[in-house]
Amino acid sequence: MDNPSSAQEPHLRSENSVSHDCPYPIYAMAVSSAASHHNRRRRNIAVGSFVEDPGNRVDIFSFDEETTSLKPIPTLSFEHPYPPTKLMFQPPNPRSAAELLASSGDYLRIWEVRDSSIEPLSTLNNSKTSEFCAPLTSFDWNDLEPRRIGTSSIDTTCTIWDIEKGAVETQLIAHDKEVYDIAWGEAGVFASVSADGSVRIFDLRDKEHSTIIYESPQPDTPLLRLAWNKQDLRYMATILMDSNKVVILDIRSPTMPVAELEKHQASVNAIAWAPQSSRHICSAGDDGQALIWELPTVAGPNGIDPMSMYLAGTEVNQLQWSAALPDWIAIAFSNKLQMLRV
Amino acid sequence: MATGRLQNQPAESLRKQLALAVKSIQWSYAIFWSISCRQPGVLEWIDGYYNGDIKTRKTIQAVEPSADQLELQRSEQLRELYESLSAADTSPQAKRPSVALSPEDLTDTEWYFLVCMSFVFITGQGLPGRTLAKNQITWLCNAHQADSKVFPRSLLAKSASIQTVVCFPHLGGVVELGVTEPVVEDRNLIRHIKSAFLDNPYPVISKIPHYVPNTNDKDIVVCGLDDDMIEANFEPLVECEDVKICSPSNSTTGFEDADQQAQNSHMMEGISDEACHVQSWQFMDDEISNCIHDSMNSRDCTPQTYANGEKGVPLSNEETVNHDFKHDLQECNLKKLDHFNFRSDDAHYQGVLSALLKSSHQLILGPYFTNSDQESSFVSWKIERPQFVQKQGAMSQRVLKSVVFEVPRMHGDWKLKSSKGYGKRESIWRPEADEIDNNHVLAERKRREKLNERFMMLGSLVPSNGKLDKVSILDGAIDYLKELERRVEELESVKEAIELEARTKRLQQEATERTSNNYIMNKVGKSRRPVISKRKASNVEEIEAETNYCTLTERSSDDLTVRVINRNALIELKCPWTESVFCEIMEAVSKLNLDSHTVQSSNTDGTLTVKIRAKFKGSKVATPGMIRRALQRVLRKY
Repeated sequence: MDNPSSAQEPHLRSENSVSHDCPYPIYAMAVSSAASHHNRRRRNIAVGSFVEDPGNRVDIFSFDEETTSLKPIPTLSFEHPYPPTKLMFQPPNPRSAAELLASSGDYLRIWEVRDSSIEPLSTLNNSKTSEFCAPLTSFDWNDLEPRRIGTSSIDTTCTIWDIEKGAVETQLIAHDKEVYDIAWGEAGVFASVSADGSVRIFDLRDKEHSTIIYESPQPDTPLLRLAWNKQDLRYMATILMDSNKVVILDIRSPTMPVAELEKHQASVNAIAWAPQSSRHICSAGDDGQALIWELPTVAGPNGIDPMSMYLAGTEVNQLQWSAALPDWIAIAFSNKLQMLRV
Repeated sequence: MATGRLQNQPAESLRKQLALAVKSIQWSYAIFWSISCRQPGVLEWIDGYYNGDIKTRKTIQAVEPSADQLELQRSEQLRELYESLSAADTSPQAKRPSVALSPEDLTDTEWYFLVCMSFVFITGQGLPGRTLAKNQITWLCNAHQADSKVFPRSLLAKSASIQTVVCFPHLGGVVELGVTEPVVEDRNLIRHIKSAFLDNPYPVISKIPHYVPNTNDKDIVVCGLDDDMIEANFEPLVECEDVKICSPSNSTTGFEDADQQAQNSHMMEGISDEACHVQSWQFMDDEISNCIHDSMNSRDCTPQTYANGEKGVPLSNEETVNHDFKHDLQECNLKKLDHFNFRSDDAHYQGVLSALLKSSHQLILGPYFTNSDQESSFVSWKIERPQFVQKQGAMSQRVLKSVVFEVPRMHGDWKLKSSKGYGKRESIWRPEADEIDNNHVLAERKRREKLNERFMMLGSLVPSNGKLDKVSILDGAIDYLKELERRVEELESVKEAIELEARTKRLQQEATERTSNNYIMNKVGKSRRPVISKRKASNVEEIEAETNYCTLTERSSDDLTVRVINRNALIELKCPWTESVFCEIMEAVSKLNLDSHTVQSSNTDGTLTVKIRAKFKGSKVATPGMIRRALQRVLRKY
């Protein structure tokens, strides 16, 4: 990473946002939950390239809230086979010295982020029968049980890993078709979305059963992403293939969404609940907009309007709103990583 | 007002009694339940004393209070907090009175204590209800594991680590004591408490005047406490007479009002003779306790904001002091509690907890969102925003779709596996993929698969430096070809020389080195390496065996080739299999400063075939001859 030079950076930066142009299109993105040792206002942001090719990479940036600046850390950069489908830093853990970063793709890989290098720690393969593992579409790190990671795969299964032991805790055939996303609600409860168009909740103590809490209206419209409201676990949000809707679900009323947010002018690509509020959610889509919504007490006749918007100008593919940086939303569009003050 | 205080005891003395009782046995809390004056036959919270761990101490006192005052004050503050939160819940518009505590200052046990305030029990139900009905002591040892029918608050108790709960009848009501440790049933303990603290109608302490806030007297009663305040405390949820009955399942229209209705339905339940709150907690309470235990790390008193000698500053949520992860965690946990209700119709906890937490979140978020154009990158949403025009032919969700549909299938390993017939699973996902993708995508993917396959083939033909991406493969191929061309030239000239000198010169070392050179030369122009090269190599060996009889006669059956390009070495050999030969070979290789990254070995009919790809570790690079000689030394032993 040798660009941009500091000379061209200022015009990308203002008080309330900062961008960085990567030499490649980006998709996966993660915000570190641990503040830098040197400066508590500084956090690492990992960005995964999106090149449909074996040669991909993950770069780490240091984001400084104080100065609103984004600097690549060239020593913390590594190659990744094919684009990572998701990146995630470990949940806050005061005990661990070095922070861990996980990536999914062919395998679930765990990396150790040291001060000046990144070392592969483990490559987790869930297949007992072969040395190959069905590729992973996504994963989620359990923030209450940080040794647990759940992965979702195109082979219809979800796998729960104990990453300290490096062993599979359990593997469930979760759906009838490919599983596209997974999200933890509880230490032992997760939900997943699939090409079969359903959102299902699983309880690790009762693996035989799952609860379908939503099915897409047109049968078999795949659900692509899922976000569980960590501030209020009754609510989760999902998005459908080729749809401009964000569907808000209340797990107490299965099958009927409590709200559908339909003001995007093109399909939605990413959703994230506000880390500090149970009633706010951000969504971003092909219309180049990132919208922040406040879920109302009562829905009006004209549907729900967003509270505020940001115009990126081109398809926004990624969105992160992290509890570590609650005042900032990170978005990715084409080659750009952008931090926006909320 | 309350029938629970028939004896005309001042409320303060009741609390004081509870305090003394619970402190004498060092338990966590004491609660006095008594028949509600509004709902005959229903036990409700009359008073309580909290004696457990405290997370954050806050005070609005002008003067630092004594230890005893602090303790009584804590119970009072908890009550105030509950009042203010439930008030905010029933009338959302009402401004929350400023209280000393905010929800994030509480430990899990305090939360338990606080949530208990919202409970009402019908005689004969729940622990206090049954105690009153039977008029005998109830001692519950494993409160946190108790069946929810026996002890409706068992999950809450679990979250707060309350393990032992004891109820006994007292003054027409029920005294409940709880502790975070397991305590074996001991009737004498109860007797002791009753006789020493409770049954004395006029305990000594109750005579002490209770309006002496600024002295340091140890036995002082909580300041600011008077009958009016107690009065206020006794206006719990049941007050709302005008609520309409709604079933929680209707509450899908909005968010706040779902809670509202849940809350209301609870109240109605309390009024009608429905059972008290039997929850279906079977849904994963283990996990709950796990997570909650994690969050219980900061139990001990951290007196944080003494307004020492200053003017009292009411702390409300806007001035949340310790907004850190622990607080987040705890709130999450509490949130979680109510999520477990979702199978149950009773939305009691949900109502209480979400009301508590909701009102605190709004404030944290508020400032940013209200004046969003000052600092935020986001602007207020307007209907007349730029109309978005979808690009002609642009695929929607291109990147997202690619990530979930295509990227997983790019991985060669998976293809390898599925082509091996991984069984049913493949048939599940293959056709589906085709349905999803349109023809263009399909064609594109096939083309890419072919390309990737060819790249993999190419990659397997050239020595790799560990990288598998396309650019590295091409770079490797280019370097390899250049290298081979150079070798061809070199060897062509050497070969001429050999032919001239062949009959006269018989130097072992050179010959062995040439072996590998010949091998490479012979290979040029042939695309398939493994099979051919081995045969060629052995041919060469045979030729050499004729010429160099002094070295190779002993081991003419060996099939040994060594190739070194840049810093990479490829070693292939065949020899009769014995138990230790393989280890010795590997040892010899590592002694040569070679770091083997791929080793393939097979044993067929007593012949060991080994193929090693290795890299030189240090700066010293052994010549093929040196490697060869080292290996031959090993092989000769067998």
